[in-house]
Amino acid sequence: MNESELKLLWQSANETLERSLQINKNNADEITRLKVQHVLASMKPTKVFILMLGIIWVIGLGSILSNFIDKISLFFVFSAAIQLLLTAIAIGIYVYQLDLINKIDFSEPVLTIQEKVSKLSISTLNATRLLFLQLPVWTTFYWNEQMFAGNNGLLWILQGIVTLLFVYLALWLFVNIKYENRNKKWFQLIFRGKEWQPILQSMEFLDQLKQYQE
Amino acid sequence: MMSDKELSQHFHQIIEKHKGILFKVAKTYCQNDDDRQDLLQEMMIQIWKSLHKYNDTFAITTWLYRIALNVAISFYRKNVNRQQLNIPLVEEMASIREEEYNTKHEQISLLNKFIAELNDLDKALMLLYLEDKSYAEIAEIMGLSVTNIGTKLGRIKEKLKLKFSQTKQ
Repeated sequence: MNESELKLLWQSANETLERSLQINKNNADEITRLKVQHVLASMKPTKVFILMLGIIWVIGLGSILSNFIDKISLFFVFSAAIQLLLTAIAIGIYVYQLDLINKIDFSEPVLTIQEKVSKLSISTLNATRLLFLQLPVWTTFYWNEQMFAGNNGLLWILQGIVTLLFVYLALWLFVNIKYENRNKKWFQLIFRGKEWQPILQSMEFLDQLKQYQE
Repeated sequence: MMSDKELSQHFHQIIEKHKGILFKVAKTYCQNDDDRQDLLQEMMIQIWKSLHKYNDTFAITTWLYRIALNVAISFYRKNVNRQQLNIPLVEEMASIREEEYNTKHEQISLLNKFIAELNDLDKALMLLYLEDKSYAEIAEIMGLSVTNIGTKLGRIKEKLKLKFSQTKQ
């Protein structure tokens, strides 16, 4: 099949359709009444729900801490404060990046926009990296003053090893969760769920874009 | 600067005049009827959101192709949801089944199948080529050099020719 035959074939596939196409005027009217959408309004309900849970967690635990700070173990206060701080920063980064995606001007050239969208989508991983940093505090929040009293050498050695392992794991994940490691087995194991699919697809697409521009 | 009313009228005119562009892009990227309705709606929303920024540096068709293709390619990857409107977007569209075209023309069906097998960026190039756009215009829409467009289109066309010739054997 030659080039002009290809184009003729394409035109004949579309001409009947174009003649019969009618745009629903009501719908077009409705669109012109749309106001600028807040990022939260554009998110899927499940994501909004998880985000809300995160915010309630931060506010709830934060107010418990501030009200009972003198009645709770200092280890718990310290661990919970770190956890809350990291969660709050992660939520902030996540919402900020989604907002940037939401505000992208789609009238720029295709490759420019697709690269921008893919990179922004991948950068939502930064929120996840931050959340992994809180791993060690889950091994310290239950410490209390009584644990220091008495001869608990073996307990402290075990506790120390566990906490240090978690610190190492948290730092390692924080440093290594990045686009460059997307093909590693451990990376694919962590991010294999359905909710990570858009980010993994963005990574694949970014690869495609890079090859395309070569 | 246009008033809201003028902007709204301008939007209606653009959509009415160039609805074919939107539908062809949606059809190329989306095989499912319901998803295609959503995609068309998203394209119209993005056109409305960008309309106040449009200037005549580029032809309106270049601008529309950019938006339609960008929305179509991002459609399944993006992690934000579309604003829902509960009114059918295109009247009569639901009654026009793709199968009708496919059964009428086996070759059209094959062409659609081969295009559907291309990756997202090659699909965009092929669509623009079949729409008889010049290499310069394709380059403007895609953000690639004219030489690059020529090379890539050459490869895609060869691939399609090979596929068509294999089906004849």
